[in-house]
Amino acid sequence: MIDEVYSTVLSVLNKNNYGYVTPADFNLFATQAQLSIFEDFFYSYNHQINKENMRQSGIGYADIKSGIEQDIAIFAKTQVLDQPASTTNTANLYNLPLDYYFVNKLYFYPTLLYSGTTTAEVAGKLVDTTLNQFVITAPGIPESPPVGSIVVNTSPIGAPTDPMLTAYVTAVDSVSELSLSADIMSTGAIPYVGQDYRIYDANNIVEVEKVSQYKIFNLTSSQLTAPTRTYPAYVLSEGVSETATVYPSTINKKGDVICQYIRYPKTPKWTYNLVASTPIFNASAPDYQDFEVPEDNQVDLISLILQYSGMSIREVEIYKFGATQDMNETQSEE
Amino acid sequence: MTYLSQFQYYTNSGTIPTDENWGSYQYVKLQDIVNNFMLMYNDNHNIINNEERYKVLFHAKRAIQELNYDAFKEIKALQLTVDVALRFILPSDYVNWVRISLYKDGYIRPLTENIQVASAHEYLQDDTGKILFSQNGEILMPQYSGLDHDRIMGSKKSIYLNKNNPMFNGVYGYCCDGAWYFDYHSRARFGLNTETANANPTFTIDKQAGVINFDSTMANEECILEYVSDGMANGNDGEVSVNKLFEEFVYAYIRYAIISSRLGVQEYIVSRARKEKSALLRNAKIRISNIHPGRLLMNLRGRDKWIK
Repeated sequence: MIDEVYSTVLSVLNKNNYGYVTPADFNLFATQAQLSIFEDFFYSYNHQINKENMRQSGIGYADIKSGIEQDIAIFAKTQVLDQPASTTNTANLYNLPLDYYFVNKLYFYPTLLYSGTTTAEVAGKLVDTTLNQFVITAPGIPESPPVGSIVVNTSPIGAPTDPMLTAYVTAVDSVSELSLSADIMSTGAIPYVGQDYRIYDANNIVEVEKVSQYKIFNLTSSQLTAPTRTYPAYVLSEGVSETATVYPSTINKKGDVICQYIRYPKTPKWTYNLVASTPIFNASAPDYQDFEVPEDNQVDLISLILQYSGMSIREVEIYKFGATQDMNETQSEE
Repeated sequence: MTYLSQFQYYTNSGTIPTDENWGSYQYVKLQDIVNNFMLMYNDNHNIINNEERYKVLFHAKRAIQELNYDAFKEIKALQLTVDVALRFILPSDYVNWVRISLYKDGYIRPLTENIQVASAHEYLQDDTGKILFSQNGEILMPQYSGLDHDRIMGSKKSIYLNKNNPMFNGVYGYCCDGAWYFDYHSRARFGLNTETANANPTFTIDKQAGVINFDSTMANEECILEYVSDGMANGNDGEVSVNKLFEEFVYAYIRYAIISSRLGVQEYIVSRARKEKSALLRNAKIRISNIHPGRLLMNLRGRDKWIK
């Protein structure tokens, strides 16, 4: 989509010989335009809910809210939260994802079934011959961990900032081997480096409730509503790296807390090769990045980029055109 | 919460305690109540939205506490031997008592609450009546006040018709299996104070001290305390539950509690929520009262008995 947008912008600008926008400038404007549209999703969503409550919205094709939900869902992500290195497995502090825009929910896995360190690398398997702790199904004895249990690799496989990987148990092969839904224990290193794992019960996952800073100590002092492992709570703390402090403080193990959040859109980049001093679009460049907002936002993107371009080349007409287009689009959507 | 299989219900899947799930189907867990409420009543299209879970949890627990005080018929019982200081320490989850009984010779004898004071603090005084203090300025107190001492030693007289009552001294009676019986025909007494006409031991409850104090006739006897708790399972949220007959009431209670304290909710909505809550409580109380026609019939059969 990014090439179409760039081409359209250039076409509008060149029509009356207003000027030219370089790829570098376009990439800057594109980032701003996408962020603006991305933020508008949330306001539009709220607007649509209010309309629904006033019975001004319908179902089926008239269900605008669902469309916006789908737009936002593109950016939804779930990640097991890591902990600051100095307090891993000791303090109730968890690092928030680096790319988060809006933390929707934190969840806590309350029931740890098994933990240990893998001893061998088999693709799609978890192998731990040290503890031999798994249970194969037999008459009257259910398998353990049950199929569907959540496995978290708590050793970072890539860079230390890489998210921890998760998978589901698909079968208990033996007392030392599990089949997993994804290959999360392989490292490719020779010799193999054992990976720490934790296996959680997939049932009874509890939501960690967000509480304001100014209320958290009232809450922890309350006899009836103090956070427990059944009803945990967290507060956001800001610093160099943003963290969530989870209560009760017994929730302090790496892998215990997962985050469902909305991330920022990736920065769009129109990449090119210079052919006879002319930039020619190259979608194969390693740093190429298309717009992430859905295609139906193309008109908005063009309008916004034209506005930025109009301001850049000091052409009021261009700015006005972009602004009018944007306003018309917004009105028709409402 | 998923439904249990028969195997899980009767044997707890072989895990000890195997009776863990017996009778569990009568109850709905607090966790389910909060979860259901957040799912069904707290939404963008409901009267209640953007409400924190801890508030819902608070109101759910308050509803369960209130139900435990009077609506539930869930009375706990604890049997203990009364200690040498004639005390029965109240259980950790005690809120109020229902009945206190002496269990002796295979009979449960309900005890009477003594209308007189049974225990007091006492400060040490010198012979001029001045209160004595320690070097640190703390007031000096004996282990037992004079009243407590006399009660424990059995020298405190009773206004009740038990063996500590001085009226029985010199009266002809019969000792049978260690208990005294008196023949009122020989010395009939008129103007009997029925409030104190009970031969069993008496008790008073010292709420501040957290003990039940007995008279000396209860020394080393077995006491059964029937009491109500608040259903909070000593803070273990996972064990807090409520009878299913009250489930809908708990939702209504939470709804009302939230709506009534919210800004900008029209009074007719608050009023509707209040009426709904009250009606559901009434219905649930009737349902749980278990008025069985068979038992009523047995009681009514006595209506034709001749009274001598």
